[in-house]
Amino acid sequence: MSVRQVTRVAAIVFPDWPAVAVQQELAARGKRHDVVAVLRAQRVAACSPAAHVAGVRRGMRRREAQAACADLIIVADNPERDRLAFEPVVRAVGELVPLVEVGVPGTVVLPTRGPARYVGGDEALAARLRAIVTKASEEPVPHFGVGIADGRLMATVAALSAVSGVGHVVATGESPAHLAQQPVAVLSGSIDTASGAVDNVVSLLQRLGVYTLGDLVAIDEPLVAARFGMLGAEMHRLARGLDRHPPLVVAPPPDHVTTQHFEQAVEDLHVVVACGREMAAGLCVHLATHAVSCVSLHVSLQSEHGEQSDRVWYEPDGLGTAAITERVRWQMEGWVKSRVLTSGVVSIRLAPVGLRALGGRQMGLWGEPGTRDEMAAKAAQRMASLLGAEAVRVAEWRGGRDPAEAFVRTCVTLVDLAGRTVTPGRPFEGALPSPAPALVYQEPLGVEVLDDGGRSVVVSGRHEMSGEPRYVVINGAKLIVASWAGPWPVEERWWDPQRHRRAVRMHVVVGEEPPVALVLTLEQGSWCATARYA
Amino acid sequence: MSVPGLLVNQVSSPPRPALPVVESLAAVFPDGLVCGRSVLCSGSAAVTLALATVSAASRAGSWLAVFGLSDLGLLAAHEQGVALQRTVFVTPPASPTQWSAAVGAAVDGFELLLLELAPRLSAGEARKVQQRVLSRRTVLVLVDIVGEHERHPVFQPDVVMHGTTTGWSGIGHGHGHVRGRELCIDIHGRRVPKPRRVSLTMSH
Repeated sequence: MSVRQVTRVAAIVFPDWPAVAVQQELAARGKRHDVVAVLRAQRVAACSPAAHVAGVRRGMRRREAQAACADLIIVADNPERDRLAFEPVVRAVGELVPLVEVGVPGTVVLPTRGPARYVGGDEALAARLRAIVTKASEEPVPHFGVGIADGRLMATVAALSAVSGVGHVVATGESPAHLAQQPVAVLSGSIDTASGAVDNVVSLLQRLGVYTLGDLVAIDEPLVAARFGMLGAEMHRLARGLDRHPPLVVAPPPDHVTTQHFEQAVEDLHVVVACGREMAAGLCVHLATHAVSCVSLHVSLQSEHGEQSDRVWYEPDGLGTAAITERVRWQMEGWVKSRVLTSGVVSIRLAPVGLRALGGRQMGLWGEPGTRDEMAAKAAQRMASLLGAEAVRVAEWRGGRDPAEAFVRTCVTLVDLAGRTVTPGRPFEGALPSPAPALVYQEPLGVEVLDDGGRSVVVSGRHEMSGEPRYVVINGAKLIVASWAGPWPVEERWWDPQRHRRAVRMHVVVGEEPPVALVLTLEQGSWCATARYA
Repeated sequence: MSVPGLLVNQVSSPPRPALPVVESLAAVFPDGLVCGRSVLCSGSAAVTLALATVSAASRAGSWLAVFGLSDLGLLAAHEQGVALQRTVFVTPPASPTQWSAAVGAAVDGFELLLLELAPRLSAGEARKVQQRVLSRRTVLVLVDIVGEHERHPVFQPDVVMHGTTTGWSGIGHGHGHVRGRELCIDIHGRRVPKPRRVSLTMSH
């Protein structure tokens, strides 16, 4: 074949990087925890080795993980934290190899051709990389593996299998044979879709009796593509030891490298990022008109004193404007943090090194809009970029006894809007009866509840009220209670002295014109209005 | 025979595209939620009315953007039939230019827009939003919890629903729980030829 299909690469993989990042963050605050787990979309995404020994596994729910290991520290996923903690490793590797490729935090991929020759062979390179990463990591050195093979998938698999050993080198041309013995489940880690479509396909393949990648390769690619679509075709390519997307045979479009020089050195990070966004927008439009999108991008920044920062960013689904801007910001932040930067930035250069045919939907000739889901997702992204990711949120079921706990609002940038489901589970024992109040105060309103004689109503430990509630004082206004019901006790986490919660709730209808129905909660001796039926 | 005006009067105009509404509000919206219109919900039952207005359309596949209403009970929205998987919640920004840009983006992408009336909004901005809603055929539902519309009517809603709770059912003196309510809805507005009053019982 005239086009070289795969490059020989080395991969350095930290299997549970999010957990390592959490441990490092805790260590920076002087705390040390061996058993931690990171939760993504209500499932354990990563856990520390000690937690693994205790029986915590990826994909477990929170409760299952806590059941397996009682003193487990559970932390929410934070990609920003993972990335910041990973920066020292990337920098250390970058000193040996000038151009390292960074995809998800926890994995570094680098082409081996030059470095292997320099240090004297693949084995020596693997040992060298191992030494560099060990030196750059904080004590205790987290588990990681180094693998060298043809193609990203095989290198990653080799690295994972070498986590405890020195380094795993698969000789040139032997990758397909090695890959054929791997279980199909290795694919679910290498194609990352938010909707979990890969997991479904992998599970279906297993049920169909396709257990190893060799079994998958034995099926003709068109058949797999016919049954599983684009995703199936990509999985088949990976199983054959190729990269996820066919390399582009056409020449890259002319002028695809954009460079911006500043006459005066820019010292404000935001200005650099804003400039990067503009360049990215131009680049994306330019690439889109040639029906290609950028899979890996070489970002290079130069400072007034001649320092230079180079990095290749890899995203198999293609880098859009927002993604490129984000990468520029990450690289810039990392550079500032590394303290080698002594002056302002004088030039930014964006050079797409890997391109793929644009798999996007062809828009109608007359600017026909996309489907409702696509348009809404686009609008939500636009609002998030205007107002910040924190300001645009979607609901996710969590469950709880309080109406405020039933759903949480997650940032829209963290979820895949299309094809999302929000399925509430069964109502909690002791939850307020339906209907739910339409207004749930984020900050409960302090009120007074008085009985006939004007004394404050209290509830005893046996849930007996000191008197019938007759008046409720809200914001200084004394309202007559028309009807009431309760009190209903709430007793949560009685086994945990710190997070134990004890309260009573009741319904009251106050006032005449118009009558207002409220949920009152008595907690730690004071009443407050927590919700209103509006 | 050849009087054009007469002909025009006899030919009924084609039905306007509209989104479905729940049965209990069919009396208020006989033609459904006509795209491009704005509805204002006020009074002590404003939030419930607004949720009821959008719920059927949301369930039928329309996307809903909620601006403001940070205290909105999501469980109540779910119970009323709002499809939360197609609902996006936006914290409105303080600056008017950002506010206009964000609302504009929402109007472009969402078929339903629930907007909490905020003080300090100028009539010019409100008019721009309404024009955009009209041209993009979005349904705008304004929620007025604190009586802002009566003090500063910046929006010109096509339908105004002023809902007043007249009584609660299911709750007694120390027994039962809030189960349902009786509502009295005053309906008026530009597109309502005859202002009227509707009584409604909502219960579970």
